[in-house]
Amino acid sequence: MKRAAAVAHAQCFGIPTDDEQATGLEKIVLEASKKGTDPYNILKPKEYAGSKQDPHIVPSITTKRIVGCVCEEDNTAVVWFWLHQGEAQRCPSCGAYYKLVPHELPH
Amino acid sequence: MAHQAHAYHMVDPSPWPLTGAIAALLMTSGLAIWFHFHSTTLMTLGLILLLLTMYQWWRDIIREGTFQGHHTPPVQKGLRYGMILFITSEVFFFLGFFWAFYHSSLAPTPELGGCWPPTGITPLDPFEVPLLNTAVLLASGVTVTWAHHSIMEGERKQAIQSLALTILLGLYFTALQAMEYYEAPFTIADGVYGSTFFVATGFHGLHVIIGSSFLAVCLLRQIQYHFTSEHHFGFEAAAWYWHFVDVVWLFLYVSIYWWGS
Repeated sequence: MKRAAAVAHAQCFGIPTDDEQATGLEKIVLEASKKGTDPYNILKPKEYAGSKQDPHIVPSITTKRIVGCVCEEDNTAVVWFWLHQGEAQRCPSCGAYYKLVPHELPH
Repeated sequence: MAHQAHAYHMVDPSPWPLTGAIAALLMTSGLAIWFHFHSTTLMTLGLILLLLTMYQWWRDIIREGTFQGHHTPPVQKGLRYGMILFITSEVFFFLGFFWAFYHSSLAPTPELGGCWPPTGITPLDPFEVPLLNTAVLLASGVTVTWAHHSIMEGERKQAIQSLALTILLGLYFTALQAMEYYEAPFTIADGVYGSTFFVATGFHGLHVIIGSSFLAVCLLRQIQYHFTSEHHFGFEAAAWYWHFVDVVWLFLYVSIYWWGS
């Protein structure tokens, strides 16, 4: 409500708002954030339990993506592996479940 | 938009870093040539190249941000960090000159007469033009804050007026200080007093001129509708720089003009 009032006020008194004037990638990011999406991965990824019922969701613009699993907090050895589309895979070290999910780029 | 899955800006290749480096080379070597062979040609060439570099590089940044929309929130955050780090480096630059001043003034040598101000130096009265200068810069800090709030609240006319007023106050400070320099009863060659006074206040004056120029560019951009009520980082950067210049003056005034008199 306050935001709508601020926008209306700004429009009346001569300084454009981002809604009116943003362009290019800034505009795409703005529109997406208004819809609640994050196509450019600006926000922190959501946390998952990593179990079979609640696997880590890994967005990808192709059919596979590299995953680095820090099995326990403060581990210095990261376990790297390719995650392919299809059934959820498990980390070869700690067994956490990871599922590849298609991610749309808005262009 | 480019085929990227991130919100950062992969900048296109640009010649300006190279021309800037060449300008630095020409200005420094030109300085040496001027000292030894009385010719200012090389230095002047370097200066022109520097001005061209600054104009074109910053023009390109404005094109990329305002006209092409590359300055997404993460990019803007990086620019904020950059400006803060730059201002911090400038703080350290001035700290050096304050160190020099306090080194010489806290323990004045016998050559100076064992006192500060040194024997024979008539310092400027801190309650005359220097106090006016303090008021001018403090007022300009108020007007630049007024300008910021005007932009955020969408008030175009007030933004332009308060920003113009800020610049005028900056120019007034510069004019007053130039007059003080001309009328001062001591010069930069008058021992360590003259050195510390004119180097510290001189670099400060240069920063006032730089800050006023930055604000003037913002005024032109504001008139041309570049800023939105939410996104106007160029202006914020200029305002931060201006507050920094103001704070440096306050330290100069208290240390050199007032305590040092």
